[in-house]
Amino acid sequence: MTTKPKLKEKRIGLFVCHCGVNIAGVVDVGKVAEQLKDTPGVSFSTDYVYMCSDPGQQMIIDTIKEKHLDGIIVAACSPTLHEKTFQEAARLAGLNPYQIEIANIREQDSWVHTDKEKATKKAVKIVKSHVAKARQNENLDPIKVDVNRRALIIGGGVSGLQAAMDIADHGYEVILVEKNPSIGGKMIQLSETFPTLDCSQCILTPKMVEVSRHPRIKLLTYHEVDSISGFVGNFKVRIKKRPRYVDETLCNLCGECEKVCPQVVPDEFNMGLSFRKAIYLPFPQAIPGTYTLDAENCLGLNPVRCGKCKDVCDKKAIDYDMKETITEEEVGAVVVATGYDLYTMQALGEYGGEKYDDVVNGLEFERILSASGPTGGEIRRPSDGKVPRSIVFVQCSGSRDSEKHLPYCSKICCMYTAKHAMMYRHRVPDGQATVFYIDVRTGGKSFDEFYMRTVEEDKVLYIRGKVSKIFKEGDKLIVWGVDTLTGKKVEIEADMVVLAMAMVKADGVQDLLKKLKIATDIHGFLAEAHPKLRPVESLNAGFYLAGCAHGPKDIPETVAQASAAAAKVGDLFAQKELVHEPTVVPVNDELCSGCGICLTMCPYTARTLDPARGVVVVNEILCEGCGACAAACPSGAAQQRNQTDDQIFSMLRAMLRD
Amino acid sequence: MKVHYYPGCTLKQKTTALDISTREALKRLDVELVEPEGWTCCGAEYPLTEEKIAGLAAPIRTLRQVRDEGGDILVTTCSFCFAVLKRADRALQDDPLKHKRVNAYLRDDIQIDPLTKARTTGFEDYNGEVKVLHLLEFLRDRVGYPRIRERIKRDLEGLAIAPYYGCRVLRPREEMAVDDPESPRLFEEFLEAVGCGAVDYPFKQECCGSYLSVSLPAAATEASYRVLRSARMNGAKAVAVTCPLCFYNMDHRQDAIKEAYLDFPGLPVVYFTQLLAWALGVDRSVLGLGEHRVPADGLFLEIPATEVRT
Amino acid sequence: MRVKLKAGHDQRKFIKRIEELSGENVFACYQCGRCSAGCPMAAEMDLLPNQVIRLVQMGLSEDVLRSKTLFLCASCFTCESRCPKGIDMARVMEAVRHILDPKGKDAFGPGEIPPELAQELPQQVLVSLFKKFAK
Repeated sequence: MTTKPKLKEKRIGLFVCHCGVNIAGVVDVGKVAEQLKDTPGVSFSTDYVYMCSDPGQQMIIDTIKEKHLDGIIVAACSPTLHEKTFQEAARLAGLNPYQIEIANIREQDSWVHTDKEKATKKAVKIVKSHVAKARQNENLDPIKVDVNRRALIIGGGVSGLQAAMDIADHGYEVILVEKNPSIGGKMIQLSETFPTLDCSQCILTPKMVEVSRHPRIKLLTYHEVDSISGFVGNFKVRIKKRPRYVDETLCNLCGECEKVCPQVVPDEFNMGLSFRKAIYLPFPQAIPGTYTLDAENCLGLNPVRCGKCKDVCDKKAIDYDMKETITEEEVGAVVVATGYDLYTMQALGEYGGEKYDDVVNGLEFERILSASGPTGGEIRRPSDGKVPRSIVFVQCSGSRDSEKHLPYCSKICCMYTAKHAMMYRHRVPDGQATVFYIDVRTGGKSFDEFYMRTVEEDKVLYIRGKVSKIFKEGDKLIVWGVDTLTGKKVEIEADMVVLAMAMVKADGVQDLLKKLKIATDIHGFLAEAHPKLRPVESLNAGFYLAGCAHGPKDIPETVAQASAAAAKVGDLFAQKELVHEPTVVPVNDELCSGCGICLTMCPYTARTLDPARGVVVVNEILCEGCGACAAACPSGAAQQRNQTDDQIFSMLRAMLRD
Repeated sequence: MKVHYYPGCTLKQKTTALDISTREALKRLDVELVEPEGWTCCGAEYPLTEEKIAGLAAPIRTLRQVRDEGGDILVTTCSFCFAVLKRADRALQDDPLKHKRVNAYLRDDIQIDPLTKARTTGFEDYNGEVKVLHLLEFLRDRVGYPRIRERIKRDLEGLAIAPYYGCRVLRPREEMAVDDPESPRLFEEFLEAVGCGAVDYPFKQECCGSYLSVSLPAAATEASYRVLRSARMNGAKAVAVTCPLCFYNMDHRQDAIKEAYLDFPGLPVVYFTQLLAWALGVDRSVLGLGEHRVPADGLFLEIPATEVRT
Repeated sequence: MRVKLKAGHDQRKFIKRIEELSGENVFACYQCGRCSAGCPMAAEMDLLPNQVIRLVQMGLSEDVLRSKTLFLCASCFTCESRCPKGIDMARVMEAVRHILDPKGKDAFGPGEIPPELAQELPQQVLVSLFKKFAK
């Protein structure tokens, strides 16, 4: 440990907060202030009822000026609540904000103890330790770095599109990367959207067109993000361009290639309910409007093997020699809008797994409802094309099951099931629609009214009970349910069953998120910085979240969240330069032996080894001041600013002395 | 190969077909079955309340006997016995209180030495040393389907058989840990290995009515009817079972079923071990076909014994 | 009949006893009814399995204890295998029957089986039947 030269004694002001009765009800705050007033370093000591109030803060400002204080301790609630408040007050008084210490005597003391005498003694110890620390606090200046005012959006569904437009409309450049041949996500596959019954394509395609034509948006479809390095405001992104084998600038959508292609494969856009060719247009309104050649299903990209599509292309747009390329872009912020997938039916063996063609999930039913779908909008069942006279809708398929599947509620199923049942009744008026539910969750605007219409006007029968088993007998699907409200077992012979499968993390995205080191929760959804107060930011600085990648939600919420994420990006870009907390852990070159232990401890990859000098170098912008490296460093070369080993030891001595 | 075998009281008395066909079949697979000395009834029901600990004594005593005779596996064919033995074994491993109490009950028990027949008391706690296996698991994992296939003497020509698991083999899923209760493959793979065609039907794990056939016959009649009907609808020529109670409900009580459900023409019920024995060339006179109320002879027609290479 | 609920409801002896005997948390049940939907005997029962556990949650012991449902359970565990909250309904049923025992009700005794039937029944039926339903 290095010995520091004796500093001029500090003039610290101590303010002990009552916090109403939260603290004062257990801790004798007056006594604490009194006992500390003669401690070395303390020049002023008082207590007050609410320090965070305007008069409380004004008291700090005035006292700093009057008593020429160069350090402040506020003994109050957790620093996560008001540290910034008091730092700002200090700054207004002309004191460096990093001379503020918060002694937590609420969450750590008054809220967890009941013995008043002991709690007061504990409060005194806590404050004493902070005095010891404050005596060694230094003035610090926030770290500043430039911001690259370009945004990267990963995902071209409605959330990605909305965020892209908002950021671009602010005046910033946007790069939108979408891994599929066209933008539109899942929303473009939907037929009608609740609660307005708007045609999904009709409301989404204008946004798609706007994005494709926006002067500040660079649209990169059939591209994938390969890696991101750097830090907030200064990211370097490697983007992989998958070869389309069709030049999108030349393709005029004449469709001749499709006609002659001999390879037929299930059409993913129609959820496998119809077929497409290896060279295909995903859907009529696809943007960009171009054919794409699916190399995995193509006979061989070789005129010797086939070459029929190339032969008939007037525009000479088809080129088998296209290769995968990688480009690099530099951006300042990233919005992750990678969407969702539906839980696999295979997991529900009691509903037949994937054995029965006529047991479909919500997206398959949307395609059946859609005018541009495999049945032209006529409701027909997949197995034999017959019009179903009885459809059973099963909610909570895979959701709300903490035992074997997913414990959470997928939020949108109650509404879209009501919508599906309503649409069925409209198109097949003599058809029987039955919905098995446990609850009906309709929290959004006009949602409950919509559900009431389904029940009262369209006379859909809602039965409260979770279906136990679905199996096929002859031509029909037998559904075993129960009506818990009347206490009767129910058995239905249906022509078709629609399962409201749980919403899960998007397939194949897990690897990308791991690569990007973006935090996810246990279900693979993006983790927000704070569930209530910071819902669109990731804890990884510079990354923002939007849409179902963050968790199940409907379109209104998705759009709202996307705009919110864009606003947060705007916050970032509006700053002249980025300011980062200076309480980081720099490296003392003289003491560093280059052992590299701290590298393995850092969760933010802020530290690297400089091979030339044999010492560790820290990128202060990436460092979040967690202190793990400082704890691990065997030589003491890693010392956190304003939380050095010396300071910590003096805090301990102060607490343990009496 | 020698292995400990637990027939259960029912197999020795009322449903000898299951026992005989098991022995004959395993003989052909070079497996010698050894019954643990002095075994007793397992108790038929695994006690479902936390306080009925005495009910665990009998199955654990059997398992302990197997251990003391040097065995580490106990094979059984009866589903009820299988469930009781396996769950009792697990209960002792999962719950320290049960472990303590049951072993305390048994400490004063009398142990019989298999060679000298000497009787002693006071011996080591049972700590889960024996693994309980259903014969189907034993055939798949320890004997192996390849050996079965190479010993097949009769070609069953893909005879359509509906495998009936019943309740006890697959459920509760975590305790039995045999296969996925909704889409199991164990029985199907066995049928394919012996040359039958396994019929997929949705009632393969639905209850046959169990002991309700005595206390509330109508309920059990309906339950068994639904199983048989589903098997028939899906093309099965017979239902294969692994439990004497399922056999009783679906074979012995088939008259009652036909009376209640006039549209049901009937369907033979066999034990899976009868199929195994037959495929392995065992003479039909030792299959126990006389015990069937619904004639199953039609499935076991004598054809020239040929070597079938797979 | 009015159900009156008081403070400390979940501490009622009946509920605690059922939980103790069965080892299950009856309050985990959110009444989805899946147990009843898959129960092979539910169609014959006067109270569905989910209603049984509901009455236990409400502490209404009398309603549960006089129900015929208790003697219709075949212990097939279909309920257990499909419950989204992992509750073993068969154990709850057994716990209720256990409480019933000392009250002297004999749902099915040896005297009720005709001798000819007793001759042909496999032993396991008799043993399991009496274990479950007899005093």
